[in-house]
Amino acid sequence: METVLADRIQFAFTIMFHYLFPIGTMGLAPFVALYTWKAARTHDPDTANAARFWTKIFSINFAAGVVTGIPMEFQFGTNWAGFSRIGGAVIGQPLAMEGIFAFFLESIFLGVLLYGGRGRPTRFQAWAAVLVCLGSWLSGFFIVATDAWMQHPVGYAFGTGGKLQLQSIAAVLFSRWALWQFAHVLTGALLAGAFIVAGIGAYYLLAGRETALGKRFVRSGTIAGFIFAAIAAFPTGDVNAADVTEYQPVKLAAMEGLFETTGGAPLAIIGMPDTANGKLLDPIYVPGLLSYLAYGNVRANVKGLSAYAREYWPPVEVTYYAYHVMVGLGTIFGAIAGIALLALLLGRIFTARWILWLVMLIMPFPYVANEAGWTVTEVGRQPWIIYGIMRTAQGTSPTVNSGETLFTIVGFVGLYFLLGVLFLTLVLREIGNGPSHAAAADAA
Amino acid sequence: MRPDVQATVAFVVIAFMLTAYVLLDGYDLGVAAISPLIARSDAERAATMASIGPFWNGNEVWLIAAGGALFALFPAAYAAAFSGFYLPFMVVLWLLMFRGIAMELRGHLDSDLWHQFWDTAFWLSSALLIVLFGVALGNLVRGVPLDLFGYFQGTFGFLLNPYALLIAVFGLAALAQHGAAFAVMRIDGAPALRAARLMRGLWWVVLALYLGASAATFATRGAPAGVWPYVVPIASLAALIGLRAALARGLGFATFAASAAFLISLLAEAAGTLYPYLLPSFPAGHGGISIQDAAPSPLGLTVALTVTIAGSIAVLVYGSAVWRRMAGKVRVE
Repeated sequence: METVLADRIQFAFTIMFHYLFPIGTMGLAPFVALYTWKAARTHDPDTANAARFWTKIFSINFAAGVVTGIPMEFQFGTNWAGFSRIGGAVIGQPLAMEGIFAFFLESIFLGVLLYGGRGRPTRFQAWAAVLVCLGSWLSGFFIVATDAWMQHPVGYAFGTGGKLQLQSIAAVLFSRWALWQFAHVLTGALLAGAFIVAGIGAYYLLAGRETALGKRFVRSGTIAGFIFAAIAAFPTGDVNAADVTEYQPVKLAAMEGLFETTGGAPLAIIGMPDTANGKLLDPIYVPGLLSYLAYGNVRANVKGLSAYAREYWPPVEVTYYAYHVMVGLGTIFGAIAGIALLALLLGRIFTARWILWLVMLIMPFPYVANEAGWTVTEVGRQPWIIYGIMRTAQGTSPTVNSGETLFTIVGFVGLYFLLGVLFLTLVLREIGNGPSHAAAADAA
Repeated sequence: MRPDVQATVAFVVIAFMLTAYVLLDGYDLGVAAISPLIARSDAERAATMASIGPFWNGNEVWLIAAGGALFALFPAAYAAAFSGFYLPFMVVLWLLMFRGIAMELRGHLDSDLWHQFWDTAFWLSSALLIVLFGVALGNLVRGVPLDLFGYFQGTFGFLLNPYALLIAVFGLAALAQHGAAFAVMRIDGAPALRAARLMRGLWWVVLALYLGASAATFATRGAPAGVWPYVVPIASLAALIGLRAALARGLGFATFAASAAFLISLLAEAAGTLYPYLLPSFPAGHGGISIQDAAPSPLGLTVALTVTIAGSIAVLVYGSAVWRRMAGKVRVE
């Protein structure tokens, strides 16, 4: 096997598995903070139960995120030494900031939240919950800033031996690309968090237990879910697409399965790309919509893949399907959250079992949509590791061959399988025990 | 060739962060490594693990942060070291993960078998981690076979040499001592008494290994330049003697502080031996990746320095506030 392929498989596998947990961390942190804060201020035992319950779910999630996050910080060095040498002086900066600003904040205050007292949360723990939330979002910001720089390099200069040097840290951290990508990523995680809260609430209502808290979970999850589903599409998704249109047009063409440059380009709702013959099979089109979304004009010219040399194409199928999965699911989330919100406003949601079923069953899909979104971003970036500057194949480690990487892939798969099983077991156990039990077990 | 001030400052930043890591994660790795010796019952093992429960994760962040800082300040060294030590380093990552899993999961089920499994995983992975870190440090000081492009392939055959193994055994003893000092300070009950007893014997082992490792380092690297490598050992010996005195008087915190001072002096010695290289070449005297070669740009250094200093101060401020609130002893229940 080619070395770069083995390295890409390992990175893709470890990052995609890892990312399952930051979705939950970033998305659930505000709910943990909210419930803990309320519980510390009021003397309502139900709120204290909710705070304890979500803190437990959060902490299992956080632990899995920490352990799977450790290899990420070092894989740039182990498998991507060529890339690290050239780009390290720039992207090492946000990574170092993540460690020193975000990770300490999260881990030290999570310690307070978990070990700082049992029973009703204290004010100190409420503050700790807010700081943990801030830390998890900051961590996400620094990681997105790192990725955004690989997508859209700014604030650097060429130094000796082709090595890049930092020229402006503000440009790297606060580029338009980084800020809007972060807004979209965070929205995606918050949407997942809201759907989890609503979904678990719906489960309790359907199962006929924990009904008081179940209703509260459904209510807050539905309202938050609707808001984030809307923000995921507009403005954050829209601006991200506009940035891709402007700076990575070949990625846009692959996302849309547009092989030929077209005026008044239609948007393919479904269809299967046939890369060998350069066409989209069995498509359903909305005329002019792609031109409108890209340029705000139904007749605008949109460049197709054939306008670019084949060597600059990203893998078309993966980019196309990942994008359509993300957008399609996003639309479904909006619809379900809209129906649930309407039922909530009409006061019918707690009795309309079919809506509760929908809310419960949709729970895993925001994970799929988040992962698909990252797949579009990263696979669509190929063949570049630093867009327009360095190719992925040049970024590997010269002293590590594919045999070694395959061996470590096997190791990671084994360890992550174990971790995944344990994670699911523990989370399902907490859900099965329920919020009332969570507090009772703590008090004992 | 003397590195300029800028490169030297960057070197000190990295050394500082790694020292913080060794001092902090060192005690929780040490506690874990000696846990089968100091904790006999299920409750004692739970208390031993709980003694580091709120802290280990924050301590481990120093390693991650140091990795990030090395990436930013010395990209060439980061690239060469982690790709060169590929397989051993992956084993380190797996052990770090396994250890984290053990600590997070032990308490979730109330079953003896479940506890036994994770207790063993906990001490074994921690002890192996210390040994691997020791092997890495030993090879760093001894040098690695760098090629013309500044890369190397650290095969097991090369890395597992007598010198590196000696440093690994010494590291295990020194961190076991550090962990025992922490346990004495933090745990209430039988494990603390056993840890104090363990330290009285272990001290002689640490002393003997320290003298042996020092002699071996001089033999491997040759007589070092400058006065630094000759002055620091005085501090090491003073710290060891201070540790013994504090232990005999039953001063928990002073014992721990002396152990910390001993570790700082060891790392200062290692840094002094490496300087002006980050990754010396093997055999000795053939150059290596010098801190000047790998030096960052002035802006990169300024940013990283600001981040490290501001971040470390913030961590010390809120970290110590948290420490004060969470202080006190862990009881065996």
